[in-house]
Amino acid sequence: MNQTAKDQAPLVELIGIEKRFGGLHAVNGVSVDLMPGEVVGVLGHNGAGKSCLMRMLSGAMLPNAGTIRVNGRPVQIASPQDARDHGIETIYQTLALADHLDAPANLFLGRELKDRFGNLDDKRMMSEAREVLRRLNPNFTNLADPVASLSGGQRQVIAIARAIYFDVRILIMDEPTAALGPSETAMVADLIKTLRAEGIGIFLVSHDMHDVFDLCDRVMVMNKGRNVGTHPIHDVNKDDVLGLIIKGALPDDWTPRHLEVAG
Amino acid sequence: MAELVQRLRRAGSSARLSKEAFHKLSAVLTMLILIVVFSIGNGAFLSVNNGLTILLQTAVIGLLGIGMTMVIITGGIDLSVGSVLALSGTVTGMLVKAGVPVVPAMLGGVATGAICGAINGLIVTKMRITPFVATLGMMLIARGTALQLTGAAPISQLGEAFGVLGNGSLFRVVEMQANGFPRVVFPGIPYPVILLAIVAVLASFLLRRRPLGRHIYATGSSEEAARLSGVNTDRTKILAYVMSGGLAGLAGVVLMSRLITAQPNEGVMYELDAIAAAVIGGASLMGGVGNISGTMIGAFIIGILRNGLNMSGVSSFVQQIIIGVVVILAVYVDQLRSRR
Repeated sequence: MNQTAKDQAPLVELIGIEKRFGGLHAVNGVSVDLMPGEVVGVLGHNGAGKSCLMRMLSGAMLPNAGTIRVNGRPVQIASPQDARDHGIETIYQTLALADHLDAPANLFLGRELKDRFGNLDDKRMMSEAREVLRRLNPNFTNLADPVASLSGGQRQVIAIARAIYFDVRILIMDEPTAALGPSETAMVADLIKTLRAEGIGIFLVSHDMHDVFDLCDRVMVMNKGRNVGTHPIHDVNKDDVLGLIIKGALPDDWTPRHLEVAG
Repeated sequence: MAELVQRLRRAGSSARLSKEAFHKLSAVLTMLILIVVFSIGNGAFLSVNNGLTILLQTAVIGLLGIGMTMVIITGGIDLSVGSVLALSGTVTGMLVKAGVPVVPAMLGGVATGAICGAINGLIVTKMRITPFVATLGMMLIARGTALQLTGAAPISQLGEAFGVLGNGSLFRVVEMQANGFPRVVFPGIPYPVILLAIVAVLASFLLRRRPLGRHIYATGSSEEAARLSGVNTDRTKILAYVMSGGLAGLAGVVLMSRLITAQPNEGVMYELDAIAAAVIGGASLMGGVGNISGTMIGAFIIGILRNGLNMSGVSSFVQQIIIGVVVILAVYVDQLRSRR
C-alpha cells in the first residue's frame, strides 16, 4: 500500500458478510476492506467462498446478512447494475460475454451508447471500442466478428476493457490471467499497476502466487467460508500464505516477517 | 502496418457477412426454385392474382413468425400463438357483438394476445418454468377459454366493417366496361399484406437498432452474461413474449376479419408454421441467432409451397410431409454453415 492510501478512508468495506446455501455456510461472517490505490489478493481453495464473496460485491448474488459500505456509506447491491452505479466493476472468470455479439456490443452491453432518439449508436460504439481495445492489445482488429470466434486472450481483453472503460473505482478481477499466455499476463499485470496508480481499488482473486506477491498490497485468505487472515504482503511469505490456504492458520510461532527483518 | 490491419479487418468483416448471408441466400434460392417449378407445373401460378393470394395467405403466418422470431432469439419458444390467435379473434368478435365499434374491438383483441404473452413471460421468468411447458400450458388455456366463451360456436354476422381489415386492399383499380360490368384492372394490395410489411419493418428496426433488440440477442446468446452485464433479462424476455402474444392477437384479428366470422377453432397448429418460418429463415432454437428478413423468407417459402402444392392438387396430408422435410433440411443446411 502506498503511504497516502493509509490516511484515506476505505473505498469499500465488507462487514460480517454471510451467505448460506441450504446447510452450506459458503461465506461465514467475512469482513474485509479496500483502500484507494490498493490491490488486495483474495486467496483460498476452490470452494473456500472467495468467488461467492466477490459475487455479492458485484451484485450477482445477495448476502443473507452483513453490511457493504462504499465510501463509508452503507449500500444495497441487489443487482449488477447497482454495483456499477457505485463504480464497482467485475471481470468474471467466465468473462460473461455474449458469444453471438461482436466486441463493441459486448463492451457496451447493458449500457449501450444511444443517439438522441434512443437508438443504438453502433458507429460510436465501434470507434470507442476500437480505441480502448487497441490500447490494451494493438493486434485487436476483428471487432465486427462474433466474440465466439475470437481467441481466449482477445475475449479476456474485451472483458477487461468493459470493466475499465466506464467510471471504475472498485475493480474485482476473478482469475484474470488464468486463460492467458505470458505476454498477455504481463499486459494484465501492467494494467493492474496502472489502475492502482490511478487510485482504483482492486480485489484480485488468484491462485497464482507469483501474481499475488508481484501485484498485491495485502492478501486476504479464505478457508471454509471464513476470513482466516488479512495481512500486508510484506508480513507474509509464500509458505505462510499456503499454510493459511490449506490449514486455515499460521504457524504457532509466526510473527510478521518484516518485523523479523527489522529486528 | 495500419493499412494492413485495416485491410485485414475489412476482409474479416466481409467473411462474416458472407457466412451470415449464406443461409439467407440459400433460402432465397429455394424460394426462387419453388416459384420456377410451380410456374412450369401450372400456368396460373405465376399471375398477379395468385401472387397476391400467396401474400395474403402468408400474412397471418408472417405475423406469427415475427413474434416467434423474437422469442426464439431469446432462447425460448412460444407454442401458444395458434390458440392465442383464436382467443384474440374470438374476444374481438364478442366485443363487436356487444356493440363495441370495430377498431376498439380489434385493439381489444390485440391487447388480449399481449396479456396472454405477458402471462407466458411471467410464468417463464418468475415461476422459472421452461418456455416449452409454460407456453404449452397457455396453448391449452387460451384454446379452452376461446371454446368456453363461445360454446365452440363461431360468431358470425359481425357486419361489413369487421371484414374490411382482412378483405380490403390498397390501390385497387376497377374500371367500368362498356357492357356495364366492372373489370378489375389491379386487385390491389391486401391490407393484411401492408400490415405485415409495416410490422416486419418495425420489428427489424427494433432488433437491429434499439437497445431492447440488442438485449434480446444478448439474453439468448448467454443469459448469465447478459444479466451480469446489467441487462434486465427477465424484463427482456417478458417483452419478447408480450410482442409474440400481441402479434398473435393481431394475426387473429386479421384472420377473423378475413373470414368475417370469429372462429374459436381457428389457428390449430399455426404455431408450428410460425416456428418453421423462423427456423427456415435461420433462427436458432438455441437462442442468440435469427432475424426478421430471414423469417419473412421462411414464411413465404411455406406460403408458396402450400399454394403451389394446392394448385398441383397435392393433398394437405402430403403437404404436411413436405413441409416437415423442408424444416429438417433448413436446419441441416444451417448446421452445415456453422460447421464450416
